[in-house]
Amino acid sequence: MLKKISRNNLKSILKKKPNVRFGANADLMVHLNLLLFLHRLAEESRAKAFEDKTATIKPLHVKAVSKNLLKKARG
Amino acid sequence: AAKQKEDPSLPKAYVMSVFSHFAKTKVSRDVYPVLQEILDKYFERLVDDLEAYANHAKRKTIEKQDVELLLRRQGLVPDGVPVNVLIERYLPMEYRKLLIPVATSGNKVFPKHRR
Repeated sequence: MLKKISRNNLKSILKKKPNVRFGANADLMVHLNLLLFLHRLAEESRAKAFEDKTATIKPLHVKAVSKNLLKKARG
Repeated sequence: AAKQKEDPSLPKAYVMSVFSHFAKTKVSRDVYPVLQEILDKYFERLVDDLEAYANHAKRKTIEKQDVELLLRRQGLVPDGVPVNVLIERYLPMEYRKLLIPVATSGNKVFPKHRR
């Protein structure tokens, strides 16, 4: 079971830009996007850790896959 | 001491629990700073993109369909799969109710179905 995040918390992160407004429920879709992004990140880091023959995901694994993933996350 | 105003970010416990939930293996504790950095970049880009989509549609408010478009462009929604399937898979029930139209009594559908 996944933990929940408060909507206000997410909204405050999205409000870094003052002139951007979010419509009703648009923040929930962002939440979904975030979860999918983390899912992808986690799976790729695990694959990377597996290549290294370690059972633990270490920062270097995450760093290695993050660059590629952020590129993919461009809209 | 006065509360320092810092950039809001996701709580550590949340990020780590979600990440290790998806990773299904042990996750080293010092992964968090890296994750936070990645997420900061991610949110920055996300807001930029969504703003561009909304501007393109001559709106000032970012709507649900803008995020949907972003999901598709990121390749997170496989072909032929509606976004609703992903919503059902990932989001908790109370949020699902807000996003997916459900017929309630009296022939009313909530939330209002646009089209």
